[in-house]
Order: sequence, then structure tokens, then C-alpha cells
Amino acid sequence: MAVDDPGRSYSHPLFDTLERFPGLDLATTTADKLLNWGARNSLWIFPMATSCCGIEFMASAASRVDFDRMGSFTRATPRQADVMVVAGTITVKMAPRVKRLWDQMPEPKWCVAMGSCAISGDFYRDIYSVIPGIDTVIPVDVYVPGCPPNPEALMAGLLVLQEKIALKTAGLKTVPAGRPETAKMISPRIKRVGHPDRMPEIDAAQCAQAMSLDLTEPPDLLAAFTAAQAAAKAAREAAEAAAADAAAADEKGGEA
Amino acid sequence: MAVKANIDSGRWGDPYLDLSTYTADADLMELNMGPQHPSTHGVFRVVLWLDGETIVKAVPHPGYLHRGVEKLCEKLTYVQITPIVDKNDYVAPMLNEQAVNMAVEQLMGIEVPRRARWLRTLLAELQRVASHLLWLGTFGIDLGGALGGGTSLFMYCFRERELIMDLFEGLTGSRFHYNTHTVGGNRHDVPAGWAEQVKQVLTFIERHIDEYVAVLDHPIFEQRTMNVGVIDAELALGLGLTGPVLRASGVDHDLRRDAPYHAYDEIDFKVPIAHGGDCYARYEVRVAEMRESIRMARDLIDGLPEGPLVGARPIKTPVQVKIKSGQAYVALETPRGELGTYVIAGGDNRNASPYRFKIRPPSLHSVSALPWVLPGHQVSDVVAILGSLDPIMGEVDR
Ligand code: SF4
Repeated sequence: MAVDDPGRSYSHPLFDTLERFPGLDLATTTADKLLNWGARNSLWIFPMATSCCGIEFMASAASRVDFDRMGSFTRATPRQADVMVVAGTITVKMAPRVKRLWDQMPEPKWCVAMGSCAISGDFYRDIYSVIPGIDTVIPVDVYVPGCPPNPEALMAGLLVLQEKIALKTAGLKTVPAGRPETAKMISPRIKRVGHPDRMPEIDAAQCAQAMSLDLTEPPDLLAAFTAAQAAAKAAREAAEAAAADAAAADEKGGEA
Repeated sequence: MAVKANIDSGRWGDPYLDLSTYTADADLMELNMGPQHPSTHGVFRVVLWLDGETIVKAVPHPGYLHRGVEKLCEKLTYVQITPIVDKNDYVAPMLNEQAVNMAVEQLMGIEVPRRARWLRTLLAELQRVASHLLWLGTFGIDLGGALGGGTSLFMYCFRERELIMDLFEGLTGSRFHYNTHTVGGNRHDVPAGWAEQVKQVLTFIERHIDEYVAVLDHPIFEQRTMNVGVIDAELALGLGLTGPVLRASGVDHDLRRDAPYHAYDEIDFKVPIAHGGDCYARYEVRVAEMRESIRMARDLIDGLPEGPLVGARPIKTPVQVKIKSGQAYVALETPRGELGTYVIAGGDNRNASPYRFKIRPPSLHSVSALPWVLPGHQVSDVVAILGSLDPIMGEVDR
């Protein structure tokens, strides 16, 4: 009974209507199946194509591979799409836009990370301006590895996504794939936006600068950085002083 | 329109109008196009100020794909750089590889064998055809439904482009991002039967180019491209535009002929130019270039000389490529124009990395023409103009 599943990840007005009537369990189940069947076989794609993988995405949409055959169709606006295919490197400047576009997509929605850049940042992951994988910003359902993945690989990824949706209809939980063990990803040396070790003031200033249209008065990054450094230093000193005090108190206690 | 008078502030003046000169009732509208827009060819943002439907001011905002490639390359060895620069101009990766390897060869004083030079020329020309096919297909989408349902031309062009991708896959094992060039020569030799396949593909494409021209010989296409986005020779030269955009403005300049590299001095070819400077002229130049490239590729595959693919001093391991000092600038004619690669030797990794690595992307210069070209046009012309400049954002932002 998928409709009774409190952990389901999407909602539809139809479900809520039917659920209120006792005795209509059969109807709700069927509607769920029907909707999932429909969703599964008409995955309309919103291409978040930023770079080279976008060209292979175009090749997948073009004559030879043509994923129209599976009911997948490219839409240029997020409002009409079910799947976001993130194809290409996502930079710090682009990430807030990707998040906003993702938020604009109606539920139910899925995300496919196409190519190593979208999966992990690829060899750019240590660069100051690139985020290490789109899954740091939005949830990802299917990872399609490759640099770039062949069109056939993208097709396989879409088939996996269809399977995943079908499993959900059957009431089975899919286990999130996560990053493959074998890939032995090296975590980035430079901490990225949102990492607890980073200074939130700088992140905020960076994002503000990226989002700002006003080029005449950009936010003062240096001031933010200096302030953040001073705050961090003060916090560290306070912590050290507290630790020293505690140690001294301990010693006193021990002596007594 | 009162707006028009303001635009004419001089060719070399600031193209950005001072909006405060408008009266309050001018009623300008600010329109944000991109960074996610189906026809910005990647992630490009341009902010338009409109008076009704007419653009009075356009400010491009690149940088949404800044991947720090130049900085990254300073940390890598010369041999490791080749697969990285593939990703700059991702529609013509072959040319990027060639540029960086030629720069390193120049620094080390390595002679490339004749067969490798001919193979490089052949790959460059095939890549040019593939790139222009992709351009024509996406240009068809940009101009929209007027051309038989929007995606028809795209589908046709990609059918032919896939054939070239197959050729490259047969040669290098990869559809994209080939990493086939190396310091001193090429990595992959021509497999058996490849030459025949190349000739068949070329014949097929040549026949179909006539088809596209017939499809586009249409009054709607002409109305949407003729006298739209005119860049005259003076402006083009002043902005440093190169490639088909410059040649469409009537300037006869092509590095393949004017500063020959590879095997271009050994073969015969014509450089097509057009004089309109508008979108239609750029289309004409690119189509003519495709035909010329196909002819050249046929000559090249026929005349491919025998011999080794790597030089007398083969570079077997990356550690062998070490350069103490010196600098080199290499310029190639890519499908988009002059791709310059400037390398200063003597960096990290005990001289195995460059000290400074600079790329001069042709697309950045094309995009920089937008503030001059867009004002005075309608909103719907923006996609036609941007499409006809054929910028690749990976190259603009690096
Ligand atoms: S994974 Fe490779 S092909 Fe895809 S965007 Fe990144 S660099 Fe380009």
C-alpha cells in the first residue's frame, strides 16, 4: 500500500482526496500504480547542460540514440519537467541557480548526475570555483559515470531510473546507491561552500557577489574574510584560555 | 525612436549607455537572459534593457563555467595537461590538444614527423566539419519553428556528426575528449580500413550539405539572418575577432594560410570569405568552410605519408618532458578562430610543469562583441546573433 507509506517522497492531490474515503483502498493503490506507470514512461527531461557533457546529452537527444523513444523528451523549462539531468561542471556561481531551478520543478521529480563533473567535480574538484559534485546541492537518484558518458550510458541511466520508480510502485524501498566503493574518491582538500569548517561569512559574501547584478558595489570580500579570520582567532583563543583555565583548575584540585 | 540617437555614441566609445540620460517616461524594461536558457549555448547570461521590443543596452555576464583551467594546468605536468585542455573548447577538442602539444614541442625543439603532421591536419579538418555541423544544428533550433518544426535541422546535422564521432572513436577509442596527441607526435595510428571509412563518410556528408542549403534557402531564414547582427570589418578587427566571424566581415585572414603549421603549406585550399558581416554571411562562410574542409580531408587521407608517428626523440614517460626555461606562443585556427596558447616554462614538479599557462580563446572575443552589436535589435534577434557567433562557454570562462 504505497499510499499509506508515510515515507513517500512525493504528494499528489488525487491521493489525498482518495485517502479520506475508507473502503477506497483498492482505488488508491490503483491510482498510485497508474500514476507511477505514467510518470515512469514519460520522463520529461530538463537538461541542466553546462558544458561538455551537455554536448553528449544533445547527441543522446538527437537522431541516432534519440531517447524520445522511451518517452523522454527535452523541455526547456523546469516547470514542465520530471527529471533534471545535470550534465557538466557546476561552479560555485552556478550552484545557486541549479538549486533554484530544481526548486521550481514540480513533484514528483528526480535527478540524474551525468558525468564525473556532476558526480564528484572530476579533476576540477580542488579548484576554488567548482563544487565537488551536484549531490552537495540537490539530491541525486542516478549517477551516470564517464567523461563524458556515451549516449548509450545515459540511456542506461534513464532505464535504471525507470526501474527505481517501478520498485517504488511495488512498495519496495530502493537503497540509495551512494558513491561506489571502488572509485576510491579522494575528498577535496579545499573545503567547499556549506562545509562546517568553512567560514559562513565568506560563503555568504561569495554567494551574494555571484548573485548580484550590481557590479558597481560588490560585497567586500576582503573585509568579510578579515572579520571572519578575527572572529575565528578570537574563538580559538577563548577556547585555549578556557582549556588552560580548566587544566589549571584540575591541577589545583589534584593538589588539594 | 529617441533611443537610437543615444546608441550612436561613437564606435570606440562605451557601448554601455548611461541610463540616467533617459527621461522617466522612457519606461525601460530590464530583461535577464540566462544563465540557464536553451539558446545561450551553455551557461551565459546577458542582461538586456528594452524599450518596447528594442534593445537599448546589453551587458554580458560570463563566468558561470569558470573552472580555473589555467591555474590547474600550472600544477600538472606537460603530458597531463593534454586531456585537461580537451575540455576547454569541448566542441573541437582535437585543436586544443594540438595547440598545447605544439607549444611544448616548440619549447623542447622537437621535430614532429611528417606522417603525424598530416594526421593532425586531417583530424583538425574533420573536427572542423563536426564542429560546424553542431553549430548548424543548434542554429536551426535557435531560429525555431520557422525551419520545419525547430529540431529538424538539428536531427539532420547530428546524424552526420555521429559519423565523424564514429571515425574518431575508431581511431582513438573515445567519442569525445580524445587525448590522442602527445609531445612529439600522435598516440594512435590509423587502424585498418579507416581511410576507406573516412572517404565514405566525407562523401555522405558532402551530399547532405547540399540538402541543408536547400532547406535553408527560404525567405523566413533570410529575413531572420540577413542584416541582423552586422559586424563590420573595423569593429571586428578592433575587438580581436577571428575565424569565421572575421571572415564573414570581409577580412581575408586565416592562420592556416597566413602562418601555416602542420601540413597546411603542403596542400591546396581556398579560404572562403563573405562581405555582409551579418548572421547570413557567417552562415555562408561556415557552410563554405565545411565543403572546403571535406575536400582537404579527402586530399589528406589520400596523401597520408608513410613513416613513424612519433619523432626521433620519442617521449615515452611524462618525466622526460622537462623544460628549464623559455616561452612559447602557438596560435591555431580552430572552428571559432585563433586559439592561442602561451606557455612559460620552469614551474613546479622540477620543471615538469609550466610556470604560466595562458589560453587566448576565440569565443571570448566573439562574446565581447555583443554590447556593440545587440543595441537596436529586437529581442528575438538575440538568439540569432548569439548563435551565429558560435561561442563555447567552456572556452570563454575556462
Ligand atoms: S565529466 Fe568530463 S565531459 Fe563531462 S562536463 Fe566534466 S569534463 Fe566535461
